[in-house]
Amino acid sequence: MTSRENDVHEPAWNQAELFERVDNDRELVRELLTIFKGDFPRTIGSLAAAVSSGDVNNSVSLSHALKGMLLNLGGARAAAAAARLEELARAGEIAALRGAYDVLEREAGRLLPELDAYMAEVRR
Amino acid sequence: MRILIADDEALSRRMLEKALERAGYEVTSVENGKQALEHLCKPDGPRLALLDWVMPELDGPGVCRAVRTRSEQTYVYMVLLTSKGSKAETVLGLESGADDYLTKPFNAEELRARLRVGERILLLEDRLVEARENMRFRATHDPLTSLLNRGAIMDLLGRELHRSQREQKSTAILLGDVDHFKKVNDTLGHVVGDEVLGEIANRLLASVRSYDFVGRYGGEEFLVVLNGCDPPYAPGRAEAIRKSVSNRPIQTVKGPLALTMSFGVLLSADWGPRTVEDLLHEVDIALYQAKDAGRDCLRIAKPDAKTEAPQAALPQPVRRAH
Repeated sequence: MTSRENDVHEPAWNQAELFERVDNDRELVRELLTIFKGDFPRTIGSLAAAVSSGDVNNSVSLSHALKGMLLNLGGARAAAAAARLEELARAGEIAALRGAYDVLEREAGRLLPELDAYMAEVRR
Repeated sequence: MRILIADDEALSRRMLEKALERAGYEVTSVENGKQALEHLCKPDGPRLALLDWVMPELDGPGVCRAVRTRSEQTYVYMVLLTSKGSKAETVLGLESGADDYLTKPFNAEELRARLRVGERILLLEDRLVEARENMRFRATHDPLTSLLNRGAIMDLLGRELHRSQREQKSTAILLGDVDHFKKVNDTLGHVVGDEVLGEIANRLLASVRSYDFVGRYGGEEFLVVLNGCDPPYAPGRAEAIRKSVSNRPIQTVKGPLALTMSFGVLLSADWGPRTVEDLLHEVDIALYQAKDAGRDCLRIAKPDAKTEAPQAALPQPVRRAH
């Protein structure tokens, strides 16, 4: 586990960090979350399939892509889980991929409701 | 300023687009390295680029390497943007030809600051290129008339000689001399003489096509190279060029001056296996004959008949009475 996954104070979604990064552009945040909501399920679904089949190359590229998306959005804990999965896949540790994927899924499960809540709030 | 963003991830691409548009850049976005390379290799392509490391088709370092192998194109300032972060990767990225390296997630202010560094480098490059071009121009052009100088026109003539021999193309060389120019300088002064040379240069240049060459051969002598000029048309074209000087007076600070030029003309059909120096000698003989015939006319060189020319009166190089 990485230090960010271990950090109990690290929020699932660091909203302030994202807003700082986009110069407090609310419209852009909404647009980015919409892109994420479209891309994330497809990418993590493909990653689940790659991990299940022991496809190391796809596990590397998909976890790398997820890491980038999550880091950009301020989802540091989930990004750290994706980074760990990428690292294991690069090392060819197929047996460890399933466990790392579960951690990622769990972190994503904490992040997504926060993003949904934000989207619901701005829609109001 | 135009900038290219290459990133396969839509979310990252959108964030970059927005951050850069806000900073006043004109942004072009692509989704893979191959598309990035196509844009960067266009003659008028963007000169600033933000490249993701991991991309389909061609990765960021691959784009950098390919861009750097091009020659004779303007510099492209490239920043690799990636979530990779080890020292070894940084070194690899920079050694592929990237100018800078930023780790995701990027900070918009830092990104803009680094791109301003890139803009400063590009500005410096522009100034260096401009200075080099100015020096090149000065080295190859005559400062008074802005025509090609003797060295440059001789060089072009040499290349044209080889090309016409290789491709069997017709070329004509005209060597012209302003009649009685010495009298202009002696009676009206060098300022007027310079005005006359400048105006004659303009007229000669205006009377040829964009792919012909006109140079100042020395003093009041001008060399014109007419490319792709078929022999039957060459005398007519040479005559039109000659008349471009004599057909109306030249305006000077001391009033209008009616001046004429004499020309020697040599056609490539008559060149044979000669050197540039030989050709110039032949055309110089023809110019001498035009002068001898009363000036304000042209004479076509006949190299094979040169033994008929008064050799004793032609010291090397040929000098004429003006």
